[in-house]
Order: sequence, then structure tokens, then C-alpha cells
Amino acid sequence: MKTISFILNGKKTVVEVRDSETLLYALRERLGITSVKEGCEIGECGTCTVLIDDEPHYSCMTLASKANGSDVKTVEFLGTADLLHPLQEAFINSGAVQCGYCTPGMLLSAYSLLLKNKDPDTDDIREAISGNLCRCTGYIQIVEAIKDAAGLCKHNS
Amino acid sequence: MLPDFASIIAETKEEALSCLSSLERAKVIAGGTDLMVKMRSGERYDHIIDITNIRELDGIAVKDGVVVIGPVATHARLGSDAAIRENAPGLALACSLVGSPQIRNMGTIGGNIVNASPAADSIPPMLIHDAMLTLESKGSSRKVRLEDIIVAPYKTSINTRELLGPVEITSLKGYREGYFRVAKRATWAISRLSVAWAISEEEGTFKDVKLAIGSCTPMPFRAVKVEGLLRGEKRQPGIIAEAVRIALEEIKLISGIRPSFAYKLPVLRGILENVLGGE
Repeated sequence: MKTISFILNGKKTVVEVRDSETLLYALRERLGITSVKEGCEIGECGTCTVLIDDEPHYSCMTLASKANGSDVKTVEFLGTADLLHPLQEAFINSGAVQCGYCTPGMLLSAYSLLLKNKDPDTDDIREAISGNLCRCTGYIQIVEAIKDAAGLCKHNS
Repeated sequence: MLPDFASIIAETKEEALSCLSSLERAKVIAGGTDLMVKMRSGERYDHIIDITNIRELDGIAVKDGVVVIGPVATHARLGSDAAIRENAPGLALACSLVGSPQIRNMGTIGGNIVNASPAADSIPPMLIHDAMLTLESKGSSRKVRLEDIIVAPYKTSINTRELLGPVEITSLKGYREGYFRVAKRATWAISRLSVAWAISEEEGTFKDVKLAIGSCTPMPFRAVKVEGLLRGEKRQPGIIAEAVRIALEEIKLISGIRPSFAYKLPVLRGILENVLGGE
């Protein structure tokens, strides 16, 4: 076992994990962060996406011990039911959520993009979410939602 | 679930080498994008040594026309690094095509080398830059050319006590350099065919040609016969046709006739004609 200490959604977190445990498992089973989903488990679907130091990573292929000393963000960081993030608002308004299984990962990839690029074009957005699969929407609504949210974020800042 | 193992987070190279020298069934992990998948499908190790925190294995530096790349530098880093884009633009491009954004944030150049996939995107560009590897074990170190280390698909001659150190590539500033791959889709796709090239010309004459081809042979290879044929020749259709013929013959000689060649070889012919013809 290893004791790891890291920032999770802005809060210092200390947790004991098994050496052979993935970050996905530690987040879901030890820390109750069930927005991070288990999908393919081989790094091909993106539903386990988390941000490590603000860059998207697959938590299913990341050993939990690697999170030690880093900054980890999940969709809980973006907004709450009381105050949604503009990206979340835009996803709802554009119909970018259907079954919802890809949504947390999709939002995190989009959020990471907007941190680096305030004015992304369609190609930038498609590239940024290219590591996240959605089998419901066909992506068009998702791309539109991210574009709308970028406009809102720019307007607000 | 992964099979059980004990993990060691090495903070220095000495720690990693010490563990590698004495532990049985030990394996180095960096980004984990290949190893985690293999372990999940049953590959077992007793000890996993995480080298990602070792500072001296990270980073990119340029000295006297040689670019020194730390093996734990990620594909994302190589794809965007100013020194790589300036001195090895084909390598920067190849790294920016690997996997998906998440895979590029995790997977490393060292991992791409030791995994030794025939379709590894970074290997053909490194071959044209005469990549030289440093392999270290406790108390010793050796330098080996990249093309000598890969002995079969997914197999290298790196022994289990050795750690991959810095990767040195020579700058090819002034060359016309590129990387082109054919894959089934843009993201998460394995290259079906890849070509890396660097060409220096003077008044329509090939001064130097470097050409590497991936995904056609068990290991990506340097087409040295083609390079030798073209050096010093005027760039004209006859010699280019001959060069392409030699490249295709060499592939057939190495791999035999494979079913995929009915598609691959005509496509490769077109790519090589464009590359050598300067289009």
C-alpha cells in the first residue's frame, strides 16, 4: 500500500492505495468520485478522463500512485447543481447530453481546451475531444456546445 | 483489475538502476499506455519501477547540432517543443499524430522505443536523424544505434537490467523534412504505412537523402540503397522511378509478399514519388 497526497478538485486529499491500483479505481472506490467512468479500460474510449495538472489523462491507465503530488480535477470541479459551469449549461442547451456516459470526460477535455485556447475553432475542438468517444450524439451538438461555452466564457472574462 | 505487483517510485536514476540490478521480474513504467494494457491482459511482473519522476530522464536540450531527448518526455511535449520543431519537424509531426490527446499526454518517447512496434510513429523520424540511445545498468553504460536495438516486432535487445537513458538525434536543419502516414482514421489509429524523409538539394540535385519507412516490414527501416542511389543525382523522373522501384523491392525482400501489399505498395509508390519529386 502507498499513502498518496494530492490536490483533488482544489482540496488536499490523502488516501491509501494499493500499488497495483489505477487512479480510476481510487477515485471511484476510495474517494466516491463516481463521475469518472469505467469504460474500455484500455485507453480507447475516454470516459475515465481526468485532468492531471490541467491536461487530460486516462485514469484507467494511470497508476493511482502517479497522482502523488499532482493536481487532479474531475467534473465535480467544474460546477455544482447550484451553479453550473458555462460548458455544462451549453451541453444542456445544445442537447449535447444523451445517455451521459461520456459527458464528464467530454466536459473535462473541453475545459482543458478552453484553459489554453479562449477562442477555439471547430478543428481545435474536434482535436481536443478526439480522445473521447460518444456513441449517442454524433458529436455535432457537443462541438456546438463547446463553441457556445467558449463565447460565454470570453464574454464573462 | 491489474495483477498484483509492488511498485517503486524512483526519484533518481541511481534508485531505478539499483532496483533493476537486484529485483526479479521487474519492469520499468513511464506513461503506461502500452504496459497497463499488457498487464490487464495478463502480463505479470512482481515489481513495477516508475521512472516518470526522475528529472534527469526528462527534458529536451540542444548542443552542437545534437538534440538530447529525455526518455520520459511525452509525445505531447515533443509535438510542441520549439527545439524539436526546429531541428526535427518530422518527429514533432509524428508525435502529434500518436493516439489521442490523452495518450500523447501520457505516452513517452522512451516507451515508444522499448515497445518497438513496427507501426510506432516516432521511430521512422528518429531513424532519419540517426538516433543514438544510451542504455544504462548499475555500474555500466553503452551507446547503441536505434536501428540496431530493435531485433523483431515488439522485441529489443535491451536487457532486463538496463534502463533507457537519453536519446540523441542529429539536427537536420536546412533539409526538407517531413512525415506522412496512412491510417484508418485520424485518432487512435495505428499507422498502416508511414514514411519519414529529410532531403537536402542544391540546384535540382540531391545532395543528401534520408528515408525511413514504417509499418511495411517487421521493424521500421532506413532505405539506405535508395539514399545511396539518389545522392549526387539530378532530381528527374527517371532516377526517382528507379529509387521507388528499389524501395519496393527491398520491402518485398524483407517481408515477403504480404496480402496487404496489394494496397500498401501502390500507395507507398505514390507517396515516395511525391516526396522525392518535391511535391
